[in-house]
Amino acid sequence: MNKILKLSLVLFVICAVTAGILGVVNALTWERIDQITHQKEYEAYAAVLPSDSGYTAVEFDKSAFPTVDSVNQSNDGNGYVVTSTFSGAQGSITMACGVDTGLKCTGISIIEHSETSGLGAVAASTSAAGEAFRAQFVGQDAGIALSKAGGSIDALAGATITSNAVTNATATSIECVASLG
Amino acid sequence: MNRKQQFKEGLITNNPVLVQQIGMCATMAITTTLFNGVGMGLSVLIILTCCNVVVAALRKIIPDEIRLAIFVVVIAGFVTIVDLLLQAFIPALSAALGVFIPLIVVNCIIIGRAEAFCQKNTVKDSFFDGIFQGLGYTCVLIIMCVFRELVGSGRFGGGLIDIANGFRFTLDGTGGGIQIFPEEFGMSIMNLPFGGFLTLGLLIGLMQYALKRSEKKKKEADRAAKEAAALKEVEE
Repeated sequence: MNKILKLSLVLFVICAVTAGILGVVNALTWERIDQITHQKEYEAYAAVLPSDSGYTAVEFDKSAFPTVDSVNQSNDGNGYVVTSTFSGAQGSITMACGVDTGLKCTGISIIEHSETSGLGAVAASTSAAGEAFRAQFVGQDAGIALSKAGGSIDALAGATITSNAVTNATATSIECVASLG
Repeated sequence: MNRKQQFKEGLITNNPVLVQQIGMCATMAITTTLFNGVGMGLSVLIILTCCNVVVAALRKIIPDEIRLAIFVVVIAGFVTIVDLLLQAFIPALSAALGVFIPLIVVNCIIIGRAEAFCQKNTVKDSFFDGIFQGLGYTCVLIIMCVFRELVGSGRFGGGLIDIANGFRFTLDGTGGGIQIFPEEFGMSIMNLPFGGFLTLGLLIGLMQYALKRSEKKKKEADRAAKEAAALKEVEE
């Protein structure tokens, strides 16, 4: 009995000290991390739908659009930015999609992903191929589809799953904005 | 303990990846650009050294029955600290390494060194063990990154070196690297996990070959020395 008590005590003390140190580090870093995350999001919003006066989050039907994280209305009145998280080929992809008042896509920007470098990751890269891929989404409506499926989006070579996921997410984003009425 | 010996063990004769063959999962997953390799290597080096020191310092009060639980708590603590610091100060690296930073918690190198070395050795020896084993790990990562990046996308130093505006090192992962041949001619399979397996397999093979050879040479030299001594005796 004594032995168990002693073991628990040692483990408890070590856990408590570790937790304390982590608390301190967290207190020192959370503000910066928060700021970086927000800045990243803001940059992604501004890339797909420029707004001089910022964005305001609006309510949407989460049960109908489970992949959508947030819908943000531009304070300039020129549309919405929809962020969504969905599965790609390797892991989940977080993307911002701009939708104008005519329910057309104004651009997409991938905030986070873990796609294969050189294939699916091109969708998020700043390379010419990546820019060209994303440029195809501008002006598309909710009927957006890959060219294989009768649409007009050319999939990235060797990355059909990623391309398809991004295309579907764009369609979902537009539908979500449409449902706002 | 002999530092030179420890250094040689960490980098060559008892290299964590190539000889002990531990911590290989992350090795294959993240070695796609030099930036990732250097970042991961240094993160492991720092975490390993800190954990080694703490485990060695606590080795007299850690009860044998719950040592693994305590190692994991200590390792998880340091990994979380490094993870938070990276997120706050080098967000590009944190984004590139993704889940592999938190996964250092279960990286066998760290728990392996705690179990095999630190609980029997002094703080000072454990500190140097952490540095040298970490260096050994980093070197393997760098070799793999350079090879895979060159063959896979014809580049050197992606993320870390920028030559667009004169030669400089970029610590935020934005450098484009030095393009040695056009990316289209690269074997992009080398960028995939398969390329990681292939590269690691080749490296382990080379290392084992070199170790066997040097062992054989040493044996032969020993035998020659013995024969010479025997001959000398006979002559006398």
